[in-house]
Amino acid sequence: MNRRCAPPALASRENPSVLTIGKLAAAGEISPDALRYYEAEGLLAPATRTAGGYRLYGEDALRRVRFIKHAQACGFTLAEIRELLHLRQTDKACCNDVRQRAIEKRLQLAAKIRSMQSMSAALNRLIAECADGSQSVDDCPILAALEQIDGGTAPAR
Amino acid sequence: MKVELIYAPGCAECMSARAGLRCAAEAVVADVEWSEVDVLDALDYAVELGVLTLPALAIDGSLVFAAPSTWPAA
Repeated sequence: MNRRCAPPALASRENPSVLTIGKLAAAGEISPDALRYYEAEGLLAPATRTAGGYRLYGEDALRRVRFIKHAQACGFTLAEIRELLHLRQTDKACCNDVRQRAIEKRLQLAAKIRSMQSMSAALNRLIAECADGSQSVDDCPILAALEQIDGGTAPAR
Repeated sequence: MKVELIYAPGCAECMSARAGLRCAAEAVVADVEWSEVDVLDALDYAVELGVLTLPALAIDGSLVFAAPSTWPAA
């Protein structure tokens, strides 16, 4: 059996700027699994590994984790965040390149909000149609409306 | 015919497409009414048209062209 040595708890004690995955996860308020997933997605790689294979992160890793979390909070997908990080390292790129992507994301979010408002209005109509909640399920106007072939209650796109 | 270019200030693709599109529109249609819409001033209108990428072109209030996304394919 291939036994691994204990996690390098001493690594961060010897060098405070080096973080184990557990310490980085705690500092970034994120799970170690999420950090491994970021690595698989090409967003965050450990600076090095111990002889036992444990990941060690440099001092910029926490900043990167925060960047990813903030970008996710703004609606960016991990693929889009990878693109933002790539732009950051591209000499030819300027702030306008990032700005245009932010504007397009804003348009996508506004379109989604509009679509969801439309869904919400469609549900309101269905709820209003089912004023008598004591009817049998067979007579339920909501189920009947959802079955309609003409899609009259479908949200506008 | 009303032709609207929906753009964002600072968008390089918008600026490079602008002159060519305007020229083409004016060459093809005699009574073209060309206008340029800053998406940040008219976000709701752009969303109503279905604009998701920039630049975009609308003719008589209908979206007819939108640039490919600047984002990589998922």
